[in-house]
Amino acid sequence: MPDVILQNLPFLLHGLWTTIDLSLWTILGGTLLGAALGTIRFVRAPVLGTLSMLFIEFIRGTPLLVVLLITYFALPALLGYRTTAYKAALLGFVLFIGAYLAEDFRSGLRSVRPSLIQAALATGLNRWQVLRLIVAPQAMRSVIPSVFNQYVRLLKFTSVASIIGVTELTGAALLVNARQFHPIAILTTIAITYLVLCYGLSLVGRALYAHFGVKT
Amino acid sequence: MMTYQFDWGPIWDARGLIAQGLLMTIAVSAVSLAISIVIGLVVGSGGASNSRAARTVSALFVETMRNVPLLIHMYVWYMAFAFLRLPAFTCAVLGLSLYSGAYVAEVVRAGIGAVRRGQMQAALATGLTRLQAMRLVVYPQALRIIAPSLASLFSQLIKDSSLASVIAVSELTYAAGAIEGQTFRTFEVYIAISILYLILVTAASQIVMLVPGARNEAASASFADA
Repeated sequence: MPDVILQNLPFLLHGLWTTIDLSLWTILGGTLLGAALGTIRFVRAPVLGTLSMLFIEFIRGTPLLVVLLITYFALPALLGYRTTAYKAALLGFVLFIGAYLAEDFRSGLRSVRPSLIQAALATGLNRWQVLRLIVAPQAMRSVIPSVFNQYVRLLKFTSVASIIGVTELTGAALLVNARQFHPIAILTTIAITYLVLCYGLSLVGRALYAHFGVKT
Repeated sequence: MMTYQFDWGPIWDARGLIAQGLLMTIAVSAVSLAISIVIGLVVGSGGASNSRAARTVSALFVETMRNVPLLIHMYVWYMAFAFLRLPAFTCAVLGLSLYSGAYVAEVVRAGIGAVRRGQMQAALATGLTRLQAMRLVVYPQALRIIAPSLASLFSQLIKDSSLASVIAVSELTYAAGAIEGQTFRTFEVYIAISILYLILVTAASQIVMLVPGARNEAASASFADA
């Protein structure tokens, strides 16, 4: 390993930890948001459904960097609160990935056969029970690949947080590079680190799908 | 408590800067789009070919390129290869093309795989060469199948081009930062450019869906979005 990496290993590892920490919290928050919005759109809730659609379309049409600039600069200015780069990044990532996950969850819910829903309703379950006990479990199993696609995408996108000043892996690497200037060694090292992380995460997705997946 | 006073005047006054940024975003995206299609076509065809070597090389390329964040792609060209003295525009285009090219390749590979095998055999039986069969029979059908996925990839690419702002390409996001710095109309400027991106992205995906027959396939397409 190049000297510049070894000398700064604790700092870079701390950055790596921040990347992982940020990704895990975003996965948790984004999945909850996505599941909520996806369900709201699936059941076509009157006002909430339209609001969710507008939110999803707005986020999906906006670059992630712009979303982060909005959560870091624009929203605090508009609503008059103070934030930190980390909190703004987390909020931005959750909103961003939540919007994409919502569409994945919705298409998963829609992939469950209508005859199954009708049969469940016929057994006397109410609509909420049908959603919770019949539709959601199957939908969850069929959306594993697209959801993990989004998780991998998110893991890569956490690098963008460095632009608003979060010292995650990319931010840490850029700081080390600014001090010692070894761009080839530093960038190669973190590129490989991301590659391993992302490939690993996608393998987890594949394993889960092989185990739980349903082919629709 | 909302105490923020809206003032869109400064944004309108900076419309020249915004228009320049928009043109630069379109330029970066269009050039990267063209290159990523070429990369995607070559690598994707390799991935769908019968040769094991071609499939391995194609898979290696795709996994390496798309598992590294786009931001790192851009920094690699801009900083690690600084000795090449490439202009920032070129660095952004290279990073964006290689990154998106890998995604296009996966879509192309899936599209070729989705064209029924009999089509290729029938084309060969009529006396077409392999290359002619691909060009005249397989690719046109694959294009129709993958058009929805391509549309979503291309809108992704346009949004991703915003990262070029970090290596000082004066595209839309960069212009927004500059205007924000001069006017402090933080909320207005970012909302304004969000809307411009939204328009651009919608227009781009509508154009791709003009491929004849694409809309019929859209209903049945089953490729995961990137």
